[in-house]
Amino acid sequence: MLLRFTAATLILCFTLMTAHGETTGILFETNIKPLLTAKCGKCHRESERKGGLDLSSMEAIHTGGETGDDLLTASLEDNALWHQIESGEMPPEGEPALSEQEQLLVQRWILAGTPSQTSIVKTRELNQHDVLPILLLRCNACHGPRLQQGGLDLRTHANMLRGGKSGPALIPGDPDNSLMIQRIESQACPPSESLLKFFVRRPSSAEVTTLRNWIASKAPVGNVKPDIATTQSDPLVSQSDREHWAFKPPRWPDTGNSLDDFVGRKLIDAGLTWSKPADRFTLIRRVHLDLLGLPPELGDLQRWSTSTDRNWYGKMIDHVLSSPRYGERWGRYWLDLAGYADSEGGISADPLRPVAWKYRDYVIQAFNQDKPYDDFLLEQLAGDEMLGQIQPSTVTNDTIDKLVATGFLRMGIDETGSRTMNFVPERLKVVADVLSVVSSGLMGLTMECARCHSHKYDPIPQRDYYRLKAVFQGALDEHDWSSFKQRKLDIATKEHLRQIAETNPPLEKQQKALLAQQKQLEIELRLNLLRHHHPDQSEADNQTTLKALKKADNNRTLPEKKLVERLQKAELVPDSNQPTSVLNGRAAAEQVRKTLHRLRQTMVPPKTIRALWDMGRPSPTYILRRGEHDKPGPLVGPGVPTVLTDGKTPFQVTPIKAAAQLGTHTTTGRRLAFARWLTHPNHPLTARVMVNRIFTRHFGSGLAADPGNFGRQTDPPSHPQLLDWLALKFVQSGWSIKAMHRLMMNSRTYQQSSQITDQQQQIDEQNRLLARMPLQRLDAEALRDSLLFVSGRLSLISGGVPDAVSVDRNGLVSVDPSSVDPSSVDPSSVDPSDNSKPNRTSHQSPRGETSGNLDQRSVDSWWRRSVYLQYRRTEIATLMDTFDYPQMGPNCLDRSVSTVSPQALMLLNDKHVHSLSQSFASRIASIIESQNLENDHRTRVNLIYRSAFSRPANPEEIELGTRTLNQLEIAWQGDESKALATYCHTIFNTAAFLYVD
Amino acid sequence: MESTPITSRRDFFARASDGLLGAALLQLLSDDLYADQPEPANTTDPASTYDLRPKPAHHPATATSVIQLFMNGGPSQMDLFDPKPALAKLDGKPYPGSVEEIGNTSVTDIGVMMGGQYPIKRHGESGMWMADTLPHTSRMVDDICLINSMWTDHPNHDNALYKIHSGRLFMGHPTLGAWTAYGLGSENQNLPAYVVLGDPLGLPKNGTRNWTSGFLPPVYQGTPFRPTGSPILNLRKQYEEPSDVSATASEMLKQLDQIHRSKRPHQGTLDARIESYGLAARMQLTANEALDLNRESSETLGLYGIGEPNTDSYGKRCLMARRLVQRGVRFVQLFLEEQPWDSHVDLASNHRAICQRTDKPVAALLQDLKRTGLLDTTLVVWGGEFGRTPTSQRSGDIYTGRDHNMQAFSSWMAGGGVKGGLSYGKTDEFGHRAIENPVSVHDFHATILHLLGLHHQELFFRRSGLEERLTGVNIPKVVHDILA
Repeated sequence: MLLRFTAATLILCFTLMTAHGETTGILFETNIKPLLTAKCGKCHRESERKGGLDLSSMEAIHTGGETGDDLLTASLEDNALWHQIESGEMPPEGEPALSEQEQLLVQRWILAGTPSQTSIVKTRELNQHDVLPILLLRCNACHGPRLQQGGLDLRTHANMLRGGKSGPALIPGDPDNSLMIQRIESQACPPSESLLKFFVRRPSSAEVTTLRNWIASKAPVGNVKPDIATTQSDPLVSQSDREHWAFKPPRWPDTGNSLDDFVGRKLIDAGLTWSKPADRFTLIRRVHLDLLGLPPELGDLQRWSTSTDRNWYGKMIDHVLSSPRYGERWGRYWLDLAGYADSEGGISADPLRPVAWKYRDYVIQAFNQDKPYDDFLLEQLAGDEMLGQIQPSTVTNDTIDKLVATGFLRMGIDETGSRTMNFVPERLKVVADVLSVVSSGLMGLTMECARCHSHKYDPIPQRDYYRLKAVFQGALDEHDWSSFKQRKLDIATKEHLRQIAETNPPLEKQQKALLAQQKQLEIELRLNLLRHHHPDQSEADNQTTLKALKKADNNRTLPEKKLVERLQKAELVPDSNQPTSVLNGRAAAEQVRKTLHRLRQTMVPPKTIRALWDMGRPSPTYILRRGEHDKPGPLVGPGVPTVLTDGKTPFQVTPIKAAAQLGTHTTTGRRLAFARWLTHPNHPLTARVMVNRIFTRHFGSGLAADPGNFGRQTDPPSHPQLLDWLALKFVQSGWSIKAMHRLMMNSRTYQQSSQITDQQQQIDEQNRLLARMPLQRLDAEALRDSLLFVSGRLSLISGGVPDAVSVDRNGLVSVDPSSVDPSSVDPSSVDPSDNSKPNRTSHQSPRGETSGNLDQRSVDSWWRRSVYLQYRRTEIATLMDTFDYPQMGPNCLDRSVSTVSPQALMLLNDKHVHSLSQSFASRIASIIESQNLENDHRTRVNLIYRSAFSRPANPEEIELGTRTLNQLEIAWQGDESKALATYCHTIFNTAAFLYVD
Repeated sequence: MESTPITSRRDFFARASDGLLGAALLQLLSDDLYADQPEPANTTDPASTYDLRPKPAHHPATATSVIQLFMNGGPSQMDLFDPKPALAKLDGKPYPGSVEEIGNTSVTDIGVMMGGQYPIKRHGESGMWMADTLPHTSRMVDDICLINSMWTDHPNHDNALYKIHSGRLFMGHPTLGAWTAYGLGSENQNLPAYVVLGDPLGLPKNGTRNWTSGFLPPVYQGTPFRPTGSPILNLRKQYEEPSDVSATASEMLKQLDQIHRSKRPHQGTLDARIESYGLAARMQLTANEALDLNRESSETLGLYGIGEPNTDSYGKRCLMARRLVQRGVRFVQLFLEEQPWDSHVDLASNHRAICQRTDKPVAALLQDLKRTGLLDTTLVVWGGEFGRTPTSQRSGDIYTGRDHNMQAFSSWMAGGGVKGGLSYGKTDEFGHRAIENPVSVHDFHATILHLLGLHHQELFFRRSGLEERLTGVNIPKVVHDILA
């Protein structure tokens, strides 16, 4: 490559010099260096090398920057230096550009072949780090940690020389007679049949040339140390880069000791003041929906609205925070951040993740217990290595928790279990998603772009991305990969194992029988389809069809394929043209599917854990030029973004003996070191990012506007001192998230009205100064859960195997009713806000006199909270989807809110929503009956308002409601219950139900 | 017979008052909240609420709508559009080179070289090549711009489908239609901006992911119109209710929302919500009307092959597509079930069968758009996710089909500002690799956006600090050579 380039240069130089004899006068030292120093030296000198580039000497220019581009190519088309200058990319905005004359000078110098006084352009000697990345990519599957075919391990120089059964892999100085070269060039290696088995591709000819050249030059080891932070200051990130507010640790403000102090000051400066306090009913509804995602119970509404306690509000917050429903609400936000999903995504099959829910339950529990945020992060980032430090002799719940927590790093799209999608690029995509979740979710840093090049706006060199990648290399190693199918642990406590042994065997037997039945039903269904739609087809052909279905589609013979097609066509015939046998068969299969699901929810969960753990044998980590998997650059070691350090402190990593349950190896200790660094009380971002996230949920927008990006491109925070103060308070509280809720929600600012005055509209339309609270729309979960709750159809059973969804032929994805009757569960665990209160009756007796036209499904069915819905990427429940339930790609840091007509169509016309309104109406009727209330429209309207809007109806509303109910009764020909149901349905459609003041 | 579509608010009210739209609906519409609001700026501010109001283009557009006739499975370029005599000469012989060059993950089923399967000749004034399986489309070649030098990055259906629709090999990114809806909104608020007309026989490979909004707000995702019954999910009440009950309920809803709204000055989002109920009501009428083919003449129905067994289904959808763009729908996508073009075996008969299903309707669509003047502003795009190999695929001892080929495939465009009668780009002597004027998927997308008046760099969405674009990080090129 290099040779060819030099030759080309020479030829070009020659032609150009003969064509433009005058160009010979330009020299680097006299003409070009001063120019580059003046115009580019600020960022590209020896002591500061943005993009890894130093333009101060010919040698440095030849070495180039992180892209690996040759900057001395004598063709303007290919010369990256010229390209940057010409396109105006460089010097960047705000720096003096090159004058036209200067540009011309550089152009002529390049065209002349970049002449300089000393011909120092020298070929760099190849070393083992030029070939190791090639061997990792092409040979590691058979000659690495997992397999040593022929006794050969190619991971180290010594092992290459030692070789395998056939002798040394190479003979220094003699590429032609080196086995490695012979095998590769004859295509004996990698063997054809292994290409897809191990997901490798053959080395390119350029790679073979590199191998040859290295062996020819006697295969030197070279003296290359991984690039890690040292005590020397970092040339890629300067002191001024660290000046950005978010990169400096928070400081206690000089004055101010409450949220209101900081908000009030800004309001006064802007000529504004706080809005009037919201009324009590508004506050009760706001606090409940905010913390629990559910409106208050009627009893709670009564209690708090009539309390004479001067501190009723603070007590209400404490009370609501102690509800187990809290973790289901706030844990869900964290699941958004983690990108939680119950399926792998990627390939069409979208395989389910059978035990991902354990991580979901871990998160909900952590929020309910107010697990200190630093511990919460440590466990999720390095739970496995924490165990190594503790070395538990027996498996405890804590052991399990720490392993389940690492599921945080397993939530992205992972297609590496597929037959054809487990090559290194696909693996790197999994790694990239993890790094993206960690950096933007936990640090508010967008590092994704640094995968390919240094960050454009923030001081994040590409190298730092790969240092961070090295942190995860011990567990996520693209050259030593476990697909999602293999990456699981089977570890459980003794108690758990005992329960499995005690409970599951008979259930498993049932399951087995049901599975067999399912299979049989499927066969019968297919045969019925064939017999009905292709009556002329022979039974033998029908049987061949069934056999063919067991093969992958591209392994079927032509006759098989045609037979399968005939079956598929028969399957696609609409229901109206299917015989009863097929329709019955389908119904039976559906029944079995549901029974199986119910069974699965009753079984003691399996011991399998979806975890991430360190294997203790990381491959070396190389920067990948332009992010391309086959363009390795310099070797790096583990590290953190330099800009968040002083640039002179090495990243301390201590290897740890793996927990006995995980193996006998020593882990790298890298993730634990990273997690400790991240949770250091002085970390500039960790606490700030989290308090900002909490703030955003409470106040509708963040102090820093973008919760996932605190970088230089974003607007400075609206209240920088408040952000610092909150961050420090957070750490001071022992990283207590509940303390932050109290701190924020007890403020005067939170208790304001959401009314907008003309003055606010004029001065601060965006409400950045918080002169009022925002009006917020319920998100998908809060809406669905509220609908169910108000209708008395919400089951508060928590945790475990997620609830399945069904997809009908029209594409409607609906949620299967929960299989467990909540009345069978200890009532103390189902109350949303009081653990000691006896179970309420109001939510449990929807079955009433109004049976007339009720949808049985609704009357007898229960649904659990939306957080327990199965999140299969390809089957998002339509109701949720319509109200902006996000896709995880890889995660979601900020949900969008849309206002579109399908939402109206859903609430107006959907069968399920309609049937819930019938349940709502029955519930109202039964409350009236059970409490012996006046059975009139006034009472009904009032109860409905209290249930749905958490406030009594005012006289005007009672009047309107009474009138409407009378009209509806006439329209329903005197059917009171139907009239009431229609009224309830309309209530579900009001803005008052959908929005929180 | 065809009635004029409702094109403006004034039209709408004129027709509402002649009783066509019914009185109950008028109640919902009495506050026409769009009427006095200025057109919003083309903002990409993540804090704003998302809707489908029309947004200004970045530059003057030549196409205001797109109809994408997606040919799932990968049609064979050398058999249909890009004849290669060299293949016929080598027919039955092994591939002259390393079989790994063919570019698929596995090399075990590679068969032998396979000549073109159909008679193929030049058509029209332009002399564009087209196989005899496409007799109707052949007559429209002078309106067609055929790109023979398309290429993509993955030989698997799943990934190549993600790529051709969303510009990425992985799931989770918004599709071209979603970006278009996001960038331009809709001209007709009574219909979705992005409509998908699926095959009654079933979903295409990758299912609903072919029209996902990915990380864009869900409002921009494709809305599948169901082939039978009510076209949109929940468009009609899914339960029984007398109409005077519904009218009373609507009246109460309106009053409650007005009370709610009047107590909350300056809350624009509440206006948008009330409006969304108005739109929902209007959509019930417009969507049914838009898909009602009884309003078309028998001559038109015949042109599309509606009523003929082979072409009825696809013909109906092509005609629906025309009716939708006529009503201002921005992006219409037609899919076939599963992936019928994926002919690993019996390519000759398989491809011919799909041509018989689609050729006449496709040509009719072009002709119909042309005669109604809509072709000037409607871009029609025909093509799949990749092409097919010059070699046959071994399937047992049968060698009658072709494998996937990511290195070259043919797609065509027509109308909306592209050059008719142009055959663009070249492949090698086997039709295996694009060698002249190669068009990447990013280039393809950038060109379509360009025709729509959108610049691929200016069309972005901020997500965790990154500006996400359909065309990715590396700058694609708009294929200016094919623009009229």
